[in-house]
Amino acid sequence: MDRGEFAMISEGLERILADAPLEAIDKAGGFGPDADSLWQTLVESGYPMLCATDAHDGFGGSLADAAEIAALCARHALSAPLADTILAAGLLSAAGTSPPALRIGIVDPADPSAPIAHARQVDALLLLEEGSLRCARTAANDLASVHQAEDGAARMLRQPTDIVTQIEAPDWLTPLVFRALGALIRAGQMAGAMQAVLQITLAYTQEREQFGRPLAKFQAIQHHLSDIACETAAAMAALEMASDALHADPACGPGVIDEIAIAKTRCGQAASRIAAASHQAHGAMGFTREYALGRFTRRLWQWQDEFGSDVEWAEHLGRAVLSDDAPRLWPRISQPINLARP
Amino acid sequence: MFHFPRLEFDARADALRCEVRSFLDEELASGGFIPAADCWVSAADPDFSRKMGARGWLGMTWPMRYGGQDRPVAHRFVVTEEMLAAGAPVAAHWIADRQTGSHILRYGTEQQKQDILPRIAAGKCFTAIGMSEPQAGSDLAAIQTSARRTATGWVLSGRKIWSTGAHFSHYMIVLARTSPAEGRNRQVGLSQFLVDLSLPGIDISGIRDLGGTPHFNETLFDNVDLPEDALLGTEGNGWAQCMGELALERSGPERFLTSLVVLEKALPLIAAHADGRRTVEIGSILANLRVLRRMSLGVAEMLERGESPATAASVVKEMGNRLENDIVLCLRSMLAGIAKSEWPDGLEALLREAILHLPSNTLRGGTTEILRGIIAREMGLR
Repeated sequence: MDRGEFAMISEGLERILADAPLEAIDKAGGFGPDADSLWQTLVESGYPMLCATDAHDGFGGSLADAAEIAALCARHALSAPLADTILAAGLLSAAGTSPPALRIGIVDPADPSAPIAHARQVDALLLLEEGSLRCARTAANDLASVHQAEDGAARMLRQPTDIVTQIEAPDWLTPLVFRALGALIRAGQMAGAMQAVLQITLAYTQEREQFGRPLAKFQAIQHHLSDIACETAAAMAALEMASDALHADPACGPGVIDEIAIAKTRCGQAASRIAAASHQAHGAMGFTREYALGRFTRRLWQWQDEFGSDVEWAEHLGRAVLSDDAPRLWPRISQPINLARP
Repeated sequence: MFHFPRLEFDARADALRCEVRSFLDEELASGGFIPAADCWVSAADPDFSRKMGARGWLGMTWPMRYGGQDRPVAHRFVVTEEMLAAGAPVAAHWIADRQTGSHILRYGTEQQKQDILPRIAAGKCFTAIGMSEPQAGSDLAAIQTSARRTATGWVLSGRKIWSTGAHFSHYMIVLARTSPAEGRNRQVGLSQFLVDLSLPGIDISGIRDLGGTPHFNETLFDNVDLPEDALLGTEGNGWAQCMGELALERSGPERFLTSLVVLEKALPLIAAHADGRRTVEIGSILANLRVLRRMSLGVAEMLERGESPATAASVVKEMGNRLENDIVLCLRSMLAGIAKSEWPDGLEALLREAILHLPSNTLRGGTTEILRGIIAREMGLR
């Protein structure tokens, strides 16, 4: 899939999301007739199959494209497991099996006991165990709810046993690579949500008046907005670097994992800073369940911890640096940035 | 809102990086320099600058006829970032190569270009910035230095301050008022002058910085007679020109790589005492530096395309300066608990130097507060 095709696909998605009652769907936790009908629309346009191969009726997109789609969905606070399903279907397809037409959640192989995003919204979960990709249907009693979680996130109480498909994973798909790909999707989502937070905070501070003038006229508030804009730009740059690397090496070699580690670290850090600055600029209004900001910040706080937090990925990077015989940072900082794109 | 385009290094850039690295290795091995923190400000060595000039590593993006190499911006980026990462003594030529030369190329007379640019490119002509004044720092439009027209040119009077390297520089670009402000609009009536610092009536006195190094200066212009062609660019266009100069000044890798030398020096020691906390910190620094470098490359690409990336440059500098300070403070905390007897020679001095330079990172070339204001303005808040 070239950039032109991808642009058409993402514009189409943008239009679908713009027309959908996303806020109502979100308030219903991503459940209900509106959510189902939106998912049906997405399926009919083939979005879940973005990264499946042509042979499996997919678009043959790269998993890096999935990260861009994840960012787009997050900018709209879409409460549906589209990005995770795209990744799951792409991996199953890469392993050689036709992905089932289901909503699929993905389980972090490094910590299957962690909350699983969308667990209650999906039909099945994808797990990587002992070199095997297993997609299994979940039953409600396989899952335990997570306190105040978004998008139906839940923990696995027991391994789902109703196997839909099981196939040997490609050699390159190690548990670390699986985790990194999940982390890239989360980095994309964080970057997308940050863009929305910036827009919401800009709009609010220009409208809301205190002391006889808009909040945005106060330097202290301008500094918060500058901070949000800078951190968002950094998150986007980090995401792009990781996506470009994956485009160039779809088998996600060590160099790509490092770029993803950088992106997840940087986006996770930006998430903390942006959530704090945007809420500070909003005052009490942003601290209500009703107001739109929380739909994004709650997810930022969730995504920064999924598939390895910024601390875990920073540790991954740091360990590589410090275990060198003659440890140096500069060769790693100045490594060529891979820009190969179709 | 702020997007940083991709910049591609070509094969020549990669070859250039190898050349620069082996040059630096040789210089280090032969005792040509001792790595310094904040080297682009604090480590001036005209001999080193001449060596770089001889290799064609100064004025790289300028046309051949002015002593340049007609190279893309990316190639200059390679040379500058490698120099900074090594802590090489690049302060003598830094400002001339980074901004003054390009500024002369854009606004200077043919005579000035032919006269000055080849000397800058050879590492034999150094320049200083004449923007701030004792009464006008962040509020740059409040400057009082003035230039009056005479029969033969101009008379310049006033004071400039914080001019890094003015004491060894040959020229200074001075921002001066050439006509009164129009009411509250003080940005009109300002002009830039290319001033030969050997002219009579100019007195340069050093100011010691927090650590005691006299790297910056106050310069007095006491009715200095300037020739007609000392005017740089257009009369009255000084403010806009100055902002263009600041875009060159703000986005480069010197805004986030100046403390790397200290960190690299400490790295083997940290590795020997690696624990969870130190490992996370090192990884976090790597992630932040690599992303910021990617953004800085984006600004270089914007320059290459002929855009004026003033706001993008401000974003890089604002984040870079904060990161620099975080790195130094973080290094302090990573070294805590490791006996001084284990520290490699020179680390303590480098760290001390870096700590004493902390305040300047977020001040020079535009304070954090000014930069945030620029970013806010771009978003329509001011």
